[in-house]
Amino acid sequence: MFSEPILHVDMDAFYVEVERLDDASLSGVPVIVGGLGNRGVVAAASYEARQYGVFSAMPMAQARKLCRHARYVPPRMSRYSEVSESVFEIFRSVTPAVEGLSVDEAFLDVSSLRLLYQDSVEVAVEVRRRIREELDLPASVGVAPTKLVAKLASEDAKPDGLLHVPSSHLLEYLQALPVRRLWGVGEATHAMLEGFGVETIGDIAAMTPATLASRLGKAAATHLHELASGRDPRSVVSNDGAKSISVEATYESDLHDLAKIDREILAHCERLAQRLRKAGYAAKTVTLKVRLGDFTTVTRSHSLPSPIDVTRDLWSIARELYSRIDLQSQGIRLLGIGAASLVAKGTPRQMALDGSRHQALAAATDRVRDRYGSDAVGPAALADAPEPERPIS
Amino acid sequence: MKIRAERDDLADVLARAARAVTTRSPLPILQGVLCVVEGGTLTVTGTDLEVTIRTTLEVEVLEEGRTVIPARLASEAVRKLPAGAVSIHAREGEVEITGNGPRFRLRELNIDDFPQISEPDTVGGSSVDGPAFLKALSQVGIAASTDEARPILTGVLFEAESDHLRLVATDSYRLADRILPGVITDASGLVPYRALKELSRAIGDPKLTVRFGDRDAVFSSDRGTLQVRLIEGTFPNVSQLFPDSYPYQLKASRAELLEAVGRASLVAEDHIPVRFGLHTGGVELSVTRQEVGDETEHINADYNGDEMTIAFNTKYLSDGLNAIDEDDVVLETADPLKPGLLRGAESEDFRYLLMPVRL
Repeated sequence: MFSEPILHVDMDAFYVEVERLDDASLSGVPVIVGGLGNRGVVAAASYEARQYGVFSAMPMAQARKLCRHARYVPPRMSRYSEVSESVFEIFRSVTPAVEGLSVDEAFLDVSSLRLLYQDSVEVAVEVRRRIREELDLPASVGVAPTKLVAKLASEDAKPDGLLHVPSSHLLEYLQALPVRRLWGVGEATHAMLEGFGVETIGDIAAMTPATLASRLGKAAATHLHELASGRDPRSVVSNDGAKSISVEATYESDLHDLAKIDREILAHCERLAQRLRKAGYAAKTVTLKVRLGDFTTVTRSHSLPSPIDVTRDLWSIARELYSRIDLQSQGIRLLGIGAASLVAKGTPRQMALDGSRHQALAAATDRVRDRYGSDAVGPAALADAPEPERPIS
Repeated sequence: MKIRAERDDLADVLARAARAVTTRSPLPILQGVLCVVEGGTLTVTGTDLEVTIRTTLEVEVLEEGRTVIPARLASEAVRKLPAGAVSIHAREGEVEITGNGPRFRLRELNIDDFPQISEPDTVGGSSVDGPAFLKALSQVGIAASTDEARPILTGVLFEAESDHLRLVATDSYRLADRILPGVITDASGLVPYRALKELSRAIGDPKLTVRFGDRDAVFSSDRGTLQVRLIEGTFPNVSQLFPDSYPYQLKASRAELLEAVGRASLVAEDHIPVRFGLHTGGVELSVTRQEVGDETEHINADYNGDEMTIAFNTKYLSDGLNAIDEDDVVLETADPLKPGLLRGAESEDFRYLLMPVRL
């Protein structure tokens, strides 16, 4: 039966499992991936570590208190994106209707496969089997008639499981869940609903939309009421073409030193340029994001007549954008550089007069890195710099 | 301060100085022009702190003095008065502008707030033929960038060489290079093109004087002075951008090419280039835009070289063709990924280097 055509596939403790692929000694012990500095937060925790109460986004210091004996590993985002690409390749070989939500989760609409498989559960079993056999990674899958329920089901299927919510049991399953698990219910809404005596998703469905609207406003009330009643018409929208690519890092202590900031901007641009080229894109818009010590976040962006994908070009724009930011004599807590208005490889591209040397350089460094790894070559200005702080998200 | 002058003359000096005034200035005082009356002369100064324009006019002086008046409003007010004599009278915080009946009373701006524009640190100076100089500037100016994120590329480079002055501008996609034979100066520096664009209207005259200092360039004529802060930084090393040699050469009628590119650009848009199929006998132009359609045509011309297809941005190409003032143009190329050189068939004083679009 294909009356539950939506799969939500979520990799289990993805960063941790990738680390375990590369280092067998991490198997079977608590593992925490996250920024190792004072301000680091947990990016991923293995199921062993979760038993000690450690969860994602928790400050690292707190995690260390809860689970002192865990193995702590700094994140390697480029490695995770690499593996993520392979995971998504499997998704796309199953169906073109893949909507990625992040590096490690996606919706798949498998309704087009009705002639090849008996039912969508069979497809889900196949997807899990291939991820396990080809990549040696665990994934959990929720199979349901709607996106919301598929996502809820994959959460309940974890770890390394599969949960099928048939149409006939949709409301029964959904409405027994606590209201907090409904999409769009954050802390504030949750507290408000609790004041109402609302505990389960079913409680929301039982209220009249008008009562709900008096507290939440009409739009939010209608939306939540529809979802709680099992109505979720959103379809899987495949997002093959990336819309933007960015790199950012949060620093252990605020950056003040100009030379250091300059170097970090360069390091970001180098990484961003590399990722752009790898994905086969060039960017017409560059965005700089700076979060100051007091958490003020400033972004500046600039658009170009012709797309760029080499470090030097990104860098000159990023530095100019940086010069327009008033730091108010504060240090920098977070620095991010993004590329948007992406133009795919193969699109005619206006070349720059002095661009060919830089293009050739980029092509050469890409080849070296493909062969000897991403640290094999880089800008000389970064050579003696301490390892740039890894991004935490 | 009290003066009287002909409406048209007064409107003219006010409006020309006001060209340096930006409407977006964060400092309210910069919305004003400074008027100083000394001897028999009115001097009007407008500035945005980078570009300063001073204009002068012989006037009937009833009372010397100085005032700052709102630039646009005052010059428009004068212009819209009936023809004939107009008088400006500043006293007690008000400026009265009258002429043949109508009377404006405008609030004076605080003269103490008006910035002191330091005298330019220039020495010497050389005299140039105004129209020829302005024309050369507009020829190279088309290649200057308007992208404030790359300030260096928004300038025109002045380079004094032994027996000529060289002007260069590039936005990194194309480069315009013009020499002015016989113009001997010590002018060297990078001048914002947005200031040079104002020269013609602000102080254009048959004779211009050009002076350069470490920080400023000053252009002056009998009609006034334009002083501009030079752009700091190193301009790209231009000479290395020109290929050593061009094996292939197309010679065609400028008007025919320009018209053809104009037709192609109807279909092309933004990043869609026009393709030049070069072959003995001429050039086959074609442009295709998937969702719209295409256009093709053939131009008879002399072509020496191997057959090849090279593609250009239509706007960059027509900018270059427009800047050349000869009937026939030459396009020199080496290969589809190297810059093409566009110039007049007779003279090499103006050269336009254009990077192709990679297909």
